[in-house]
Amino acid sequence: MVTFKFLNWAKEYGWRHLIALVFATFAIYPILFVATNSVADFANLTNSKLIPDGFTFKHYKLLSSDPLVPYFKWLYNTYKVAIIAGFFNVFLGTLAAYAFSRLQFKGRRASLLTLVIVQMFPSFLAFVAIYLLFFQISDVAPFMGLGTHIGLILVYLGGSIGFNSWLIKGFMDTISPSLDEAAKVDGATDFQIFMRIIAPLSRPILVVIFVITFIGIYSDFILAAIFLKDKNLWTVAVGINTVFVDDFNADWGVIAASSVIAATPIAVLFIFFQKQITGGLTAGSVKG
Amino acid sequence: MIYLSMTLSKILRYIFLAVFNALIVYAFPLTLAYESWFFLSLIIVIGLLVNFVYFTEKFQPMKWILPGMIFMLSFVVFPAVYNTFVSFTNWSTGHILTKTQAISVLEDRVYTPENQKGIEFDIYILQDIDLSFYYVAYLNDQNILFGKAVSDDEIFSSSLATHEPSLFNNGEFVTPDGFTLLTGKEQIANSSSLQELSLVIDKNTRAQLYKISVFGASTGRLSSTSQLYKYDDVNDTLINNATNTVCPVVKDNFECEGKEIEPGWRVFVGGENYRKLFSSQRIRGPLNVVAKWTFQFALLSVLLSFAVGLFLSMILNKNGLRFQRIYRAIFILPYAIPAFVSALVWKGLLNPDYGLINSWLGPIYELVDAEPIKWLTTKESARTAVLLVNTWLGFPYMFLITTGALQSIPRELIEAAKVDGASGLQSFWRITFPLLMVSISPLLIGSFAFNFNNFTLIFLLSGGGPPIVGSDVSVGWTDILISFTYKLAISGGRGNLFGLASSVTIIIFALVLIISAISFRYTKRLERVYGNI
Repeated sequence: MVTFKFLNWAKEYGWRHLIALVFATFAIYPILFVATNSVADFANLTNSKLIPDGFTFKHYKLLSSDPLVPYFKWLYNTYKVAIIAGFFNVFLGTLAAYAFSRLQFKGRRASLLTLVIVQMFPSFLAFVAIYLLFFQISDVAPFMGLGTHIGLILVYLGGSIGFNSWLIKGFMDTISPSLDEAAKVDGATDFQIFMRIIAPLSRPILVVIFVITFIGIYSDFILAAIFLKDKNLWTVAVGINTVFVDDFNADWGVIAASSVIAATPIAVLFIFFQKQITGGLTAGSVKG
Repeated sequence: MIYLSMTLSKILRYIFLAVFNALIVYAFPLTLAYESWFFLSLIIVIGLLVNFVYFTEKFQPMKWILPGMIFMLSFVVFPAVYNTFVSFTNWSTGHILTKTQAISVLEDRVYTPENQKGIEFDIYILQDIDLSFYYVAYLNDQNILFGKAVSDDEIFSSSLATHEPSLFNNGEFVTPDGFTLLTGKEQIANSSSLQELSLVIDKNTRAQLYKISVFGASTGRLSSTSQLYKYDDVNDTLINNATNTVCPVVKDNFECEGKEIEPGWRVFVGGENYRKLFSSQRIRGPLNVVAKWTFQFALLSVLLSFAVGLFLSMILNKNGLRFQRIYRAIFILPYAIPAFVSALVWKGLLNPDYGLINSWLGPIYELVDAEPIKWLTTKESARTAVLLVNTWLGFPYMFLITTGALQSIPRELIEAAKVDGASGLQSFWRITFPLLMVSISPLLIGSFAFNFNNFTLIFLLSGGGPPIVGSDVSVGWTDILISFTYKLAISGGRGNLFGLASSVTIIIFALVLIISAISFRYTKRLERVYGNI
């Protein structure tokens, strides 16, 4: 009787658990391996294991003490660039979205379509032109030329404003027009309607758009790599690449530690906003 | 309150305009100074547009759209146009400058003529805060110069040697106060520092001590430099003063006696970059490989991760299955890690000597008596690894979207099929799958387009390698079009081939356009978008 019950369970559920476990291992093993190795006491990659023999923070300490690898400087740069660019992205995107959602004007449909079509092409495709453009800007205005954070932020700003204002506009359309019509009757200006009604009500989408943009910029490699030449100005994505090309075997602990620091905040953000981000992805594509 | 808020909007607007116009005013003379007419016209157009929109009451909607639009036009639309322009030029290492800039670089070059005159020196020492040496140089009887001898570093900041009449009496040099004449022996004692010094006579000429004499005045020689090249703007030729030859313009360089003079300058070359891509055997070959692999990579990545993702969501799509939430949480994890971290970590795990993968496969290698796979170092292993890792990166997304789509398929349909006697497989292929594809296919095309340009993964995992031997440009077996372009333009080790790289980018643009057109055509997304407006 017990055997029969087990067989029945195995036929209904057991094999599903088996397959799920295999793929769960496939999904999580590399992540766990790196996470435990970052705090494990071992000499090199060859003799590292999933469950470490000893516990230590030495890799993290090493990471913060190597003057040739200003890892935390890179981390700071990344947050700085991503937060500033993310903020302005959302701000300018919201302004444009308001006009598209609430104001009637000639060419509205055409410009919205243009936005969608332009954003089909990832902005980094024209990286050669961006490189040469900022190479020449360096002559005229060195503070925003090649190799500066300001220049990089400008490029990131252009890169996704169109897509973002499109998404925000979609959300604003769901806010009932009767609200602002009532305000208009009371004599409110466009600016007041925007500041008092539409912008506050759009807050949920603005947070999500900020997070998506932040993650996108944080994870960008190609534009940061062509823009930033000075080691002290690198972002994590560019810098970490050079940590990894060192002696893999001997430096494995430090490599694991740097990966954990770079990945954790994004992973947490992603899991927290997972539903909204995937929803946004369904409408277009930001992250792989 | 309303009054307050109106002022706020005005204040904001004026602050914005003030900052903006300050920037314009700052940039204006700079663009003039650098003669960059393009930026000048850009600044004028944007400046007029912004001020016009914000100071007049017309074009209300533009007030909201313009700030974002400026960024999009400047850093997305304009680079795309500029990219097209660059693809029709020879812009590359050695041809970075404009012709005017190249000529001014060339005209700054100097040479040292062979015949140099010997001259006599007396050397004086000034007891100042630190020791400094002064030379009296007897160029000839009439021209006797006096001045401080300086090292190479100081040459451009020092004053020239002069002939001061007050220091001479009947043509004889009179030692000024504080100076003492160095004897031959003292000169020898100081010879190592004296050798470093020279007397600057004019912009192109300086005198240097050559031989120290114990008995009288030491001797030295004049070393003068002259301008090597002179541009003749009437004939548009360069004249080499050293050899007295005329160097004509040949396409994008001056050519002296058959030899190109670096630097050249950038010119329009028409469709030459495109011709190179399609006809030069040593570029066309690799480009073919890369283009084919780009499609294979994008297609296989989508298919593999879609297969795994769909399979898993079907497995979990079962009422009463325990631990569902835990499984789901774990399956999403690889997607939550930034791709640049995952790619690099996998590169470590795949390391042939120390990596986890090979130590896992160790027993299997022994069992079948095979050599361990040298991951990422051979064409096949590198391509397999890239696809494997991309499946790991991509299946969570597919899992997420298929889970959503599966749940939205009405259960009654499948129940009805069951009642009609359809097997599980039949109902999957005939009902579930087609319904699934309706909602999923635009996302699959999107994923294809994304992987088509998945630079981060390729560049950080395999670097495009292993290299394809025997090609004219730096390229590897796992390079996709965008990483190939990157190598051409930035990091190929064969200079920066901006023009050629841009022409490859144009091809990518065209391909992305085709992919999007197909996506719009078959998914009617455009109509949905349009309907949504």
